[in-house]
Amino acid sequence: MLIDCNAYIGHWPFRIRKYGSCAALLSRMNQFGVDLALVSSLSACFYKNTQTANQTLYDEIHSQRIFRDRFLLMAVINPIYGGWRDDLEICHRKFGIRGIKLYPKYHGYDPTGPECTELIKIARDRDLVIAFSLRMVDSRPSSWLDINEEWDLKDLIPVIRTVPHARYLIQNVSNRIDLEDGDSQVLRDASVLMDTSGRSITNLGFLIKTYGPGKFVFGTHSPVLDYCTGLLRIESLRQEEADETVREKIRSGNARQLFNL
Amino acid sequence: MRNMEQINRRNFVRRTTLSSASFFFTQSVHQGAEDTMASAGTYDIMQEVRKFQKIDSHAHVYFSADSPETQIDYADRMKIAKLVISRPMRPGSPGNPDEFRACNDLVLHCVRKYPDRFIGQMTLNPQFGKESMEEINRCIGEGMVGLKVYNHVKINDPLFYPVIEKFIDLKMIMLVHVGIGKSRIVLDKREPPNISLPSDFVEIATRYPEAMFQFAHLAGGEDWEDACKSLQHSKNVYVDVAGSNNDAGIVDFAVEYLGEDRVLFGCDNSFYQGVGHILAATLTDAQRTKIFFENYNQILRKSGRHVD
Repeated sequence: MLIDCNAYIGHWPFRIRKYGSCAALLSRMNQFGVDLALVSSLSACFYKNTQTANQTLYDEIHSQRIFRDRFLLMAVINPIYGGWRDDLEICHRKFGIRGIKLYPKYHGYDPTGPECTELIKIARDRDLVIAFSLRMVDSRPSSWLDINEEWDLKDLIPVIRTVPHARYLIQNVSNRIDLEDGDSQVLRDASVLMDTSGRSITNLGFLIKTYGPGKFVFGTHSPVLDYCTGLLRIESLRQEEADETVREKIRSGNARQLFNL
Repeated sequence: MRNMEQINRRNFVRRTTLSSASFFFTQSVHQGAEDTMASAGTYDIMQEVRKFQKIDSHAHVYFSADSPETQIDYADRMKIAKLVISRPMRPGSPGNPDEFRACNDLVLHCVRKYPDRFIGQMTLNPQFGKESMEEINRCIGEGMVGLKVYNHVKINDPLFYPVIEKFIDLKMIMLVHVGIGKSRIVLDKREPPNISLPSDFVEIATRYPEAMFQFAHLAGGEDWEDACKSLQHSKNVYVDVAGSNNDAGIVDFAVEYLGEDRVLFGCDNSFYQGVGHILAATLTDAQRTKIFFENYNQILRKSGRHVD
């Protein structure tokens, strides 16, 4: 079984994204054998009022049975925008979200600041996963209007230290992933998983040895990145790096545990 | 066993998505789950990887203890039979003859060590014209095929003309680094003034229609839409789709604008992305066969250095 823990539906303003609709993503899933996808709104990245994008995505998913059966919703919450607590309530109680996706760099807030910390604590208490992407797109060929900053893995450690008992998902692991010993231990001890879409996952076998087999989940970062590379990192593992049990954990088992599926 | 596995997957999906449902759901969702699960087939990605013979048209070896074995290991993992390796000079380096000779010696050493895996590609600096021409004779005489250059000189600089004319005679391709360039419309501040841009390739390809140029790493951080659109009419410019930025649209866009015969598989050390985004692209197996192997082999065939 394959569960994609990093996919998006919606519009990206700087370049056409071919697989940004439910129908198009579903076609990819069927072609490549992916059973479920955790999806959030791509457009919400650029909305101050993210709830309109969450509603739009919820409506699209619920417009057809086939979408409802294959997509699980993550809501984008902007904790420095009015009414965000109500937004979270609606997304959790009515939309049935599995987690929240945060964009501190796009929405302009400090991820360790009081607003984001409060949001993460509420999500923790409601058993929702908190997801961050180290980057959305490669900034080099991006538009002059897009942000220029990307994260390294170490940049999220202060967030985890601030609320250590939440459940985190780090998506599109790009740029530097080396950590000092103390930070490495934080990553090991906390409930933090990383998906396989990011370009810095160059040696998944070594990372499994370093952090353990329970730390990785399958992800595509579709429609931004191609649909196969995240899967290739898993399936090209050698037997001595990851036996079938470990591979199945990464394909879906760890996601099931993370999202209580 | 496969049917049981599909039934179990179907049951899991139905239970999972129903538990997320709001009170607006109706009984009809059960039927929906049955229908949709029938569509989620299986895809053996490693079977697809093994299906295609590959030549990595853009590979490197390094002055480090783990090279070239690290590159061989990744190539084994991705079932890449042949890698076209080079060791171009570091950007901003003096670029003098001692330096480019040392780079080429490294490549020659690696090819001798793994002759069945590597095709060696030389480098030079046309600012040192006499030494560069001598180096071409040496390296081609030792069996190297083609040229890789970085950014000491723009590709359309007149200093390059004798080199290009030589490689026309040799019927070999010249792989030229491309910078981030005008990704954000203006030239990126990090780029040196002599970085080659798509417009430079257009100019030099027009001047030398018999030459073969390889535009480096569409997935390497440059604006790939701008590159493909600029190069579409320059039929003697090939592009390789190597690089770490496996943006979902690159391969399809390149094939649309350049045609399936001018797109080359390459990794530039990003092996998963190099293979993955060709598998993910909307291509037929025949097109994948061309991109993974035949296109570059046709280029090698012109100089008689093709892979059997």
